[in-house]
Order: sequence, then C-alpha cells, then structure tokens
Amino acid sequence: MLNITNILMLLFFVLVFPGALFTSAVGLWLAGVDRKVVARMQHRIGPPIRQPLYDFLKLLGKETIIPHAANKTVYLGAPIVGFISLAMIMLFIPIMGFTAVSGSADLIVILYLITIPGVALIVGGSSSGSPYAGIGISREMVTMMAYELPFVLVLLAVARKVGGGALVFSMQDIAAWQAANGSLLFHWSMIPAALAMLLVVPAEVGTQPFDVAEAETEICEGPLVEYSGAPLGLFKLNTAMKMFVMSGLFTALFLGGLGTGIVALDALIFVLICTLVVILCISTIHAVTARLKIEHLFKFYWTFVAGLALLSLILVWCGL
Amino acid sequence: MLKKFIDDSALKSPWIYHINTGSCNGCDIELVAVLTPRYDAERFGFKLAGTPRHADIVVVSGPITSQSKERLLRTLAQVPEPKCVVSLGSCPRSGNVFKGSYSIEGPLEKYVHVDVSVAGCTPKPEAIMEGLYKAAQILKEKREAMKK
Repeated sequence: MLNITNILMLLFFVLVFPGALFTSAVGLWLAGVDRKVVARMQHRIGPPIRQPLYDFLKLLGKETIIPHAANKTVYLGAPIVGFISLAMIMLFIPIMGFTAVSGSADLIVILYLITIPGVALIVGGSSSGSPYAGIGISREMVTMMAYELPFVLVLLAVARKVGGGALVFSMQDIAAWQAANGSLLFHWSMIPAALAMLLVVPAEVGTQPFDVAEAETEICEGPLVEYSGAPLGLFKLNTAMKMFVMSGLFTALFLGGLGTGIVALDALIFVLICTLVVILCISTIHAVTARLKIEHLFKFYWTFVAGLALLSLILVWCGL
Repeated sequence: MLKKFIDDSALKSPWIYHINTGSCNGCDIELVAVLTPRYDAERFGFKLAGTPRHADIVVVSGPITSQSKERLLRTLAQVPEPKCVVSLGSCPRSGNVFKGSYSIEGPLEKYVHVDVSVAGCTPKPEAIMEGLYKAAQILKEKREAMKK
C-alpha cells in the first residue's frame, strides 16, 4: 500500500495543499480581513489586509529572549506542537468535495486535535514562569471547559442527524449526506446548533469578547507575556490558523456538499465562505462588544450556547 | 530574499509599548488619541503591545521620578532587539516645569540612547505620529544592520 507515490502524496497533503502552507496562508488572509473589517466598522481606515503577514515576518526577525525561570525545551516546543496539530486538522476537513485523509471517526480526531493548540498555549505559558502567565493559563483552561461542552453537543447533533438512527463521525459521510439532502444549515432543526457553533468559533480562536485569557490590557497577554521573537510569531500564526480551521469546520459541517468537482474552484469557494463566516461571527462580535469577565463567559457558554446546542440535539433525537 | 522581506516588515509592523514615568497624563492621552479612529495609527501597522517583550518601540513620557527610574531601566532591558526609544513630550527631554525638583532623575538621555524625541507640552497627535513613523524607519535601519 505505502509505495513512493503514496508517501509523496501524503507529504504534499501535509506540507502544501490542505496542510501547513495553505492553512497558514488562508489563516493570515482571514486575520487580515478580520482586522480590516473591524477597522471599517469603527470608522477607521485600518491596516492593509497583509498586515498579519508583516507582523509574522517582523517577529521572525526579532531577538528571542528565553527567561531564566523557563524550561527551554517546553518553552520553545509548545508553539511548534500547536502549529503541527493545526496543520493536521485541515487534512480531515473536507474542502467541499475534496478530503485529503478520511476515516470512520474524523470528528473525534478533529475534536482531540483542536484542543492541542489550546493545551500548547497552556503548557508554554506555564513553562515561562511568569505570574501573569499563571493567571492567563487558568483563564484559558476555564475558557476551554466553557466552549468544549457546546462544541461536543453540536458535533453529536450533526452526527445523529446524518446517521439517522446511528451516530456517524465520518466527515466524508457528512459531506456526502449534505450533497444528497441539502446543507445542514437549511434543515430547521439544525439552526440552533449552527448558532451555537457560530458562538463557539470566537471563543476557540480567542477574539475580543472571549479573549479573557489573553487580555492585553489587564494581564499583559496572559500566557504569551514572556514570549518574544519567532515563538511569539508562531503563536500569532496559530491564532490565525485556528480562525481558518474553526470557520472551515463550520463550513464543512453546516454548508457542506456544495462542491463543483474541480479542486481549485472548490478551495476558492471554501475560502470565500470561511471569510464570510469569520466576518459574521468574529469581526462583527469583536466590533460591537467589550471583553467579558471569566465567570460571565463560563455562564454564557454553559447556559445559552449549550442550551441552543442541546435544543438541536433533542430535536434531532426526536427524529426531526 | 527572506531577510529582505523581514527587514521590510520591520517598518510595516512596529508595536508600541508605553511607559509613564510620572507624567501628568497629558502626553498619555495624546498618545491614545493617535490610536483612535480620528488619527488611526493602525493603518501604518502600529499596535499597542501589552508587554515589553512584544514591543519594538518604547514610548517614554514623564520626567523620570526617583520612584520610576528603577522600573524604567528594568522595563527597557526586557525589550528584545531591534528596538527604538521615543521620548514623548518635554518632560523626558529636559524635566520641563519639574526641572530642579529633588524627586526628578531625568533627562532620559542619561540612561538610554533616545532615537526620536517629540517635543511639546503636550505634542500634537500629528507630531507624535510623525515621530513614531521616524522611529519605525530607524527600526528598519537597525534591523538591516543586525547580523544574521
């Protein structure tokens, strides 16, 4: 099975097309669009769309300071682990018709892989030995607990809806079901789950009202407080990539099955839909809200958002 | 090739860290005005960083009181290279109306090399903007001079 062509194909998948290069390029584009749209909503001119790329390149050229109290290996390894896991997630998410790797339990793999960047932030922050990072990581952990519950409920609702009687965790089956029966967003019983998912995206990415873990005005960017130079740039890139991965997951789960069959065109449509999702659920919420307190964030996710997801799950379980 | 891109990016994305060393808050308000929608420094890529570790440009306002001197020096030492120091207003330059006071340890030049000095009490946002842009250009020169 594993001949040289397969290995080369797999390497191409991991390094170039849905993997590292494509994900980071689209992630930086989405982050730039986000900053521009927020600026326009606040009546500013705003930075150019390639601004996140400039930020990343500049950080590559800065001195990397490793604090005396830090554990060097963990401190420098954490952002790389986060980057690898984010590049891997894109292999499992179908880009309209095209999937690089497909198995029978993709959703479970995605669910686990998507927690790794958050865990990398926690591990990296705690190894830096700063008290600000300590507060930041405790908040990051609470944030993760807050959005994981509605996220899992949404995934369960989707799996049950697609599977009919059973649970289906294969992304390819979900895409095929949507191609046959119409996108899940247009089934009324899934609309609460879609809303819940739209609210999970900004918390997972860590943007404005839900950026309690990285509050730069109160706890100096939390876990990132001691980072400088290339590792900081990699963490910023991870945030941008998370934007693409989460909006891409939303697109694949709720707007799947719209493919044309040509991979390049599919990728273009996919990126456009992702941009719309980011503008809708990240930029708009960012522009009109101020940062929440951590206890309010937790309450909001476990009552309102989890309630929406649960409503969908119950409707789906009743066969609607 | 990559080095050239990185050098160019130093001009395009300067992150600011602001230290108040006993300023009357006038210059601080004007610096914040530069970041508001009216003047919008973010269109040049300026961003207020939360910690000195993320900063490229350190903006110092105030006449450097005895209490803040130690903190100022420690903060400046934490900024990674290449970095620029901008003195904001007349206080870090000369001590301004506080000159001769027993509790003032200025001027700023005594402790660190000042790249750009914006005068005025308080300077206009336009002047601050020009000073910051000059600092970004100096940042690019410093980056180009850095050994890889």
